[in-house]
Amino acid sequence: MNNAIAAKIPAEITLEHSTTDVTVSKRLPGDLAMWFFILAELTVFAILFIGFAVAEQLNIDMFNEGKAQLHQISGLINTLTLITSSFFVALALTKMHQGFGKQAAQLLVIAKLIACIYIGVKVWEYLSLFEQGIDIETNTFFTLYFMITFFHLMHVLLGMVILVFVTLKAAKNEYNDSNISGFESGASYWHMVDLLWIILFPLIYII
Amino acid sequence: MKLFDFNSSNKKNTYSWLWLLLLTVVSTYIDVLFGFFTEQKSLFILVVLFIVFLKGQQIIDIFMELKHAPTLWRRLLLAYVVLLPIIIGFIYLL
Repeated sequence: MNNAIAAKIPAEITLEHSTTDVTVSKRLPGDLAMWFFILAELTVFAILFIGFAVAEQLNIDMFNEGKAQLHQISGLINTLTLITSSFFVALALTKMHQGFGKQAAQLLVIAKLIACIYIGVKVWEYLSLFEQGIDIETNTFFTLYFMITFFHLMHVLLGMVILVFVTLKAAKNEYNDSNISGFESGASYWHMVDLLWIILFPLIYII
Repeated sequence: MKLFDFNSSNKKNTYSWLWLLLLTVVSTYIDVLFGFFTEQKSLFILVVLFIVFLKGQQIIDIFMELKHAPTLWRRLLLAYVVLLPIIIGFIYLL
């Protein structure tokens, strides 16, 4: 009995050590360069968001009227689609970690198809504003609205191009556990696009 | 091999996704769901900005997988979703 207990003790100690080792090894997913790029992008958008908030305080009535002319439901749909698209990219990364490149590629295709809904809704939103005679020169609110949302749309398109390259490589099983940073970088960029929208949406459409 | 299996990573991603969807709908219709926010504009702004932080934290920790990344990088990203809503809040409320 004592021998049996003694035999268990080292096993428990080893388990504790291995658990500690897993906790200690912190790793930044993706390339370091991509994270610096993400920080730069976040900073640019932060300046735009703060600029929008300040401009709103200087032109409260104009901004209230402008916000009332926006289609809040389309903003909501776009938020839900970007979050869902990000979710599928996260699922794809899990699949890639497991070594299933084809399934990861399929999940990325679903993520991009969902992102296409975002693009479609955004274009529809722009066209319906143009039909009402509203464009970038209408007033300060719409100048900032078109500038910020179009700049974000460009990031969505760039993110989709990056995901196309990642998808092609994943489908060919070119990623593995020691060479997955390209996949992680693409995924992180896509999540950044989502992160920016969840600030942009309440700022321009809700508050 | 199934496209989706409910392992521990996917569980976290799925719960996070559902939480983000719920927070999005709540923040969009918060004034409809809770009538008193229509009169309390300041409180409404604070709650919406707090929801921005909650959503940002989920994206950073779960989707971006920064929960177990080096502390500096995690803090840098989290600082973004803490400081930016605070700055915006000050601009709107002061």
